[in-house]
Amino acid sequence: MNPMSFPPADDSAEQPVRVTRREMIGLITGAFTAGPSAVALAQGAPRRGGVLKVAAPANPSSLDPATGGAGTDHVFLYTIFDTLIEWEYETLRAKPGLAESWSFTDPRTMVLTLRKGVVFHDGTPFDAAAVKFNLDRARTGQRSNIKADLATVDAVEVTGSHVVTLRLNQPDAALPLILSDRAGMMSSPKAVQALGNDHDRKPVGTGPWRLVNWADGEKVSVTRNDKYWKAGMPYLDGIEMQIIIEVNTGLRSVVAGQNDYVYFLSPQQRAVVDRSKLQSNSGPTLYCIQLYMNYGRAPLNDAKVRRAINQAIDREAFVKATMGGLAEVAWTQLPSAHWAYDKSLVNAWPHDIDAARKLLAEAGHKDGIDLTFLGYTDQRSVQRQEVFMEQLRKAGIRVKWNNGSIADMSARFFRQEGDGLLSAWTGRPDPSLTFSLMYAKNAYFNAGKAEPSFELSAALLASRASTDQEVRKRELGRVMKIISDLSLVAPLCFQLELDAAARKVQGYKPNLLGKPKFENVWLSE
Amino acid sequence: MLARDRWKLIGWRLLQFVPVIVLATFIVFGLMQLVPGDIAVTLAGESASEARIAELRRLYGLDRPLLVQYGQWLWGAMQGDLGKSMLSGEPVLRSILTRFPTTLQIVLMALSVSLLIGVPMGILAALRPNSRIDAFVTSLASLGVALPNFWLAMLLVSVFALNLGWFPATGAVAFAKDPVASLKAATLPAFALAAGGVAEVARQLRGSLVEVLSSQFVRTLHAKGLPPSAILWRHGLKNVSVNLLTVIGLMFNRLLGATVVIEAVFAIPGVGSMVVASAIQKDFPVIQGVVLAMVLIVITLNLVIDLLYTVVDPRVGRR
Repeated sequence: MNPMSFPPADDSAEQPVRVTRREMIGLITGAFTAGPSAVALAQGAPRRGGVLKVAAPANPSSLDPATGGAGTDHVFLYTIFDTLIEWEYETLRAKPGLAESWSFTDPRTMVLTLRKGVVFHDGTPFDAAAVKFNLDRARTGQRSNIKADLATVDAVEVTGSHVVTLRLNQPDAALPLILSDRAGMMSSPKAVQALGNDHDRKPVGTGPWRLVNWADGEKVSVTRNDKYWKAGMPYLDGIEMQIIIEVNTGLRSVVAGQNDYVYFLSPQQRAVVDRSKLQSNSGPTLYCIQLYMNYGRAPLNDAKVRRAINQAIDREAFVKATMGGLAEVAWTQLPSAHWAYDKSLVNAWPHDIDAARKLLAEAGHKDGIDLTFLGYTDQRSVQRQEVFMEQLRKAGIRVKWNNGSIADMSARFFRQEGDGLLSAWTGRPDPSLTFSLMYAKNAYFNAGKAEPSFELSAALLASRASTDQEVRKRELGRVMKIISDLSLVAPLCFQLELDAAARKVQGYKPNLLGKPKFENVWLSE
Repeated sequence: MLARDRWKLIGWRLLQFVPVIVLATFIVFGLMQLVPGDIAVTLAGESASEARIAELRRLYGLDRPLLVQYGQWLWGAMQGDLGKSMLSGEPVLRSILTRFPTTLQIVLMALSVSLLIGVPMGILAALRPNSRIDAFVTSLASLGVALPNFWLAMLLVSVFALNLGWFPATGAVAFAKDPVASLKAATLPAFALAAGGVAEVARQLRGSLVEVLSSQFVRTLHAKGLPPSAILWRHGLKNVSVNLLTVIGLMFNRLLGATVVIEAVFAIPGVGSMVVASAIQKDFPVIQGVVLAMVLIVITLNLVIDLLYTVVDPRVGRR
């Protein structure tokens, strides 16, 4: 269906939870700017010029969208690359990008109509052949890290100078938003062929800026793309992203005036930002702090035990104690701002110690239960573990922690060590992808590799089958209901994006994905 | 005669290079295998799958026997090829060469600060042992040793960068590009590093100088009627200079190690931050490259110090 005919975001619906969330965010952020209000708060008309200096918390894994792997890369990639399909900042609904429109002529055929007159930074024209080159490289290239994203695509055909047809092996309504992520970022075929592996370090895209230099572990600089297709954009002449891994140091660099912007701050840094003369930007994100559970083996293969864990958790208290209130309580893996959010699942697991004890007893653990959870060693993770452990202890669930580095402990959990992993899910543009990656049989994030239920597998497929947004919302609601009924996960809260910026930085809009885009930013002096 | 001894010393040390380097890099390589974690998981990224991780292991040769992996690295290193970072694809040698000057500048500045403050303090304390000045210097030195340098660093940033705005809070500037800005940027990190150095220089100097000044030949010099300043400068300090050289050598190596923490606090793109990042992610070619560079520096420095011994104290060469 035509993307433009998607129903508008249902902003008028004043659900109780929604109001609570807004109030909460309003309370905690003085110079709060989110969504449309950010534009309203910006002073005067956008001014062209100036270089934005950003403190970035990680070195890119690669600047080639197909070969990189870190979720922190996107902030860099967005400056250099456009995506075939974009999303609305507030809700992550798909909207046109390099593809002017798209449609599913039948459930297994997706047709993309491309924008004309776009050129890559090296002058190569952007056309159907370039899209085919990129998608085929992403699907089959030896160094591609995103093969799984395009697993449902069987063939990419050029069916016009600016028309591309994707033949699918199963209906996949998740594709539009998959094409708003790495897979939809278009590199110049000429540059990829000429540079080979060096394209990782010298990427050529169509984005608002082009790369000047990437000094490894130090700085990534981009400068204005004079031939950018969006009229009048971008405002900034360039962006210098200084890589400062320690976020406290990053924030200090902004306080001291050496940088203009820092993102991915922790809630604990809120106080420092407030004391300084900086403005802060924050907004909801998909970043969900949660307990992964190995539901493939005893004792967590028993839904009653999993439910007991969920009912033992006091989510409000958890948010207050560990996030300084800077988070939204989570009942599913979608926050309230998301287009597919289902409010019927709010308070699906009421905090109730007695009920939790009763469930445990019914499951044959009258004297409580001992579980081994895996976690990470950093200070904030340990703090969460302490609060979490204490909440569970009251219901007779005794937790032993086994801690290590993120890479190691995650790998161990997926190798079936431990009953659970207290970690986070960083979110994906399309929710079907999130659920498939976590709950499909043999999915990487399904540690026990067990099929939770036949019903869920069917619902997962169904959620990707229809391209009608309302139908999908209903189907995704069904998926989340089953996950909630089976208590396959213990979502705790969604972290809010917290950024700090110098006063002169204007026009920044947070997005629900939580990965900053600077395309609307301008400098006021 | 002396010159021949020196050449023998240099030749002998150069011979030692090879086994020391092989041993050091091999031990580090072995230790990295004990550290949990798998770079293939990192490389596979957010859409990781078992198949992709296995494919990456094959692609990067991580599925080969460890000795083969190490052997291949060593063979490349012997030909001057340190390989590429598995994460960023940047040639390791280029990374080290671009980052090392920054680290070296901070270390040298910290060393200078340590000497400029530590030496006068040590002399003052030694001239009046057990006086109030001595007590003050000694307690200041204890404080310097006890203060964690990262804490001092944050304190310095808070006062001199954020409140007073005299120095930048983070980053580094290449000396060749802008010497003044470069020195300014390196000042706070250098002082943070130097606290321990000042203390060490002052204490060592005080200890050995007190010993020299109370020895019999100094008493003779006094009896001879030599003015105290001449005794201190010509005889006292000359006799403790060997000790001081040893301290400098040890301190240089320690400062080089301490940059790991300081570079993180100040977001300095030097070798220290590079080694931390690559160790966490098990980027083995980078770690090996940095270890190799460090070993070379330490051995060379020790050689230079040994040669300097023979200059300041001719007896050393004859032994």
